[in-house]
Amino acid sequence: MKKMINYVMLAASMTVGMAASANANDLQKLLEKVKSDRISEAKIDKKREAEFTAARADKQALLKKAKATLKAEQDRNARLTKEYAQNEITLAQKEVELDTAQGTLGEMFGVSRAAAADAYGAISTSIVSAEYPGRGDVLNKIANAKEIPALEQLEELWFALQTEMTQSGEISKFTAEVTNLDGTKSTETITRIGTFNLVSDNGYLNYNDEVGQIQPLAKQPAGYISDTASSFFNTASGYTELYVDPSRGAILTLETRKKTLEEFYHQGGTVGYAITVLLIIGLLIALERIIVLGSVASKMKAQQKNLSQPNENNPLGRLLVVYNENKNADAETLELKLDEAILRETPKVDRGINLIKMFAAIAPLMGLLGTVIGMILTFQTITLFGTGDPKIMAGNISLALVTTALGLIAALPLILVHSIVAGRSKSVLHKLDEQSAGLIAEIAEKESK
Amino acid sequence: MLFLIELIESVRSFIATGGNVLYFVAFALLLMWILMIERYWFLASVYPKMRDDIIAKWDARADTTSWYAHRIRDTWISEAAELLERNMITIKTLVAMCPLIGLLGTVTGMISVFETMAQQGTGNPRLMASGISMATIPTMAGMVAALSGVFFSSRLDAKVKLAKAKLIDSLPHH
Repeated sequence: MKKMINYVMLAASMTVGMAASANANDLQKLLEKVKSDRISEAKIDKKREAEFTAARADKQALLKKAKATLKAEQDRNARLTKEYAQNEITLAQKEVELDTAQGTLGEMFGVSRAAAADAYGAISTSIVSAEYPGRGDVLNKIANAKEIPALEQLEELWFALQTEMTQSGEISKFTAEVTNLDGTKSTETITRIGTFNLVSDNGYLNYNDEVGQIQPLAKQPAGYISDTASSFFNTASGYTELYVDPSRGAILTLETRKKTLEEFYHQGGTVGYAITVLLIIGLLIALERIIVLGSVASKMKAQQKNLSQPNENNPLGRLLVVYNENKNADAETLELKLDEAILRETPKVDRGINLIKMFAAIAPLMGLLGTVIGMILTFQTITLFGTGDPKIMAGNISLALVTTALGLIAALPLILVHSIVAGRSKSVLHKLDEQSAGLIAEIAEKESK
Repeated sequence: MLFLIELIESVRSFIATGGNVLYFVAFALLLMWILMIERYWFLASVYPKMRDDIIAKWDARADTTSWYAHRIRDTWISEAAELLERNMITIKTLVAMCPLIGLLGTVTGMISVFETMAQQGTGNPRLMASGISMATIPTMAGMVAALSGVFFSSRLDAKVKLAKAKLIDSLPHH
């Protein structure tokens, strides 16, 4: 192994020795080339130095010139700054001068803007705008303008206010488009009463300023109010009465939210309907009683005039028949027979009267039941929503009260009718019970003579 | 004349604050007093004549003790009593009805209070005040109407009973 390494090292040293002998000529050439180059480099250096020296003088001149320019600009800056300050002062002076020159006139423009804004609010919502649309635009322009309004605009403001004032005292008729509740549009003749109400053939109308449309009220107020509107509309001359809403529609709108009697009635719910049924049945019974008792009384009266011919169609006649059958019996037997006959008649006469009385007593009790149910519902609402909103509670409370009212309303006529029917039946019973015996006694006396 | 107009106007404003139920109270009161005045008039001028006739007729009878005579006497008393007591039930009913009508006014007034509450909330007591006056005034009117009737109707009742008892006493069995 060691022998092998020695061989390799020997071979390498031989190769290096051969290469060094081959490059000896090239190095000589290189040396000469460096020498010649040093001479030419020195030449170039000298030339460049001369060039730089020449340029230096030029640059000096340029620097001088630039410095001079800087100086000039600085001077100008100082001058302009001074001038600017001067102008600021002048401007302030001029502004003060302008203010003094405007004087109260400036205030006037502020006032006119405020007045225009106020007038815009009043006029765009006024029903006069239904007749003369588009009056608000000019006012809006004045109210929102940044600059001083022109004379024409001021005149326009004056004109708008004057129109409103004049029209508020006038009743005028005009034709306009009415947007109905179902969205359809129709052209109608409308009467405007001042700035208060719009009236047409169909009642009161409303002016919606947001969309600039004339609309009928969602629900016309109570009959006696809306009737005056249509009768007013149809009057050609002379005087007629009319309900005017001085709040310019607010009261009419409230009126539309008011419940009608029918709506109130339906608020009573099932209990309310039951009370109504009770009332109707009670009144029907009373009616039947009044008719029957009336006919019985009249038949008895006719019988009283004609005692000799007893008629079977009335209680008195039937009593007379009993008397005729027992004419020859003694007084005691006759009395017993008559009592028996009267006892048979009595239920027919006072039938149903106690029922009316009972109904009259039940009706307020049912009202009370409704009250209790209503209160239960109210407390349920309170449990769910708390007492914060009286509007939620009020609904059930009105159910409670409506049934109470219905109970009383049903009871009152029933009581009255009961007293009438009871009076009649009592009189018929008196006739049978106390007076028929007397009549028979009179007949007996006459016959015995 | 002016006084009358003022009176009518004050009645009208009273009814306006009290609500329509006052008409019913007024109707009941009117009917009650018409019936009562008729009764007083009957007791004062018609009845005495009738009573004297009956007494004279009874005194003219020869037979006053038999069963027939008793029945005839009962009949005359019953007829007289019927005339005496006519409409007394209605008068008493009307007296009893007046406070009930007032109560109806209370309830309708409260309904209008709650109606206002449901629409406007409880913010403005002034709006509710009209309903409250509609609740209280008919109650008061009903009470006053009933009170005005209670005294006279009970007096009337006593008078009628007395008249009947006197008539019975005036027809003795000989």
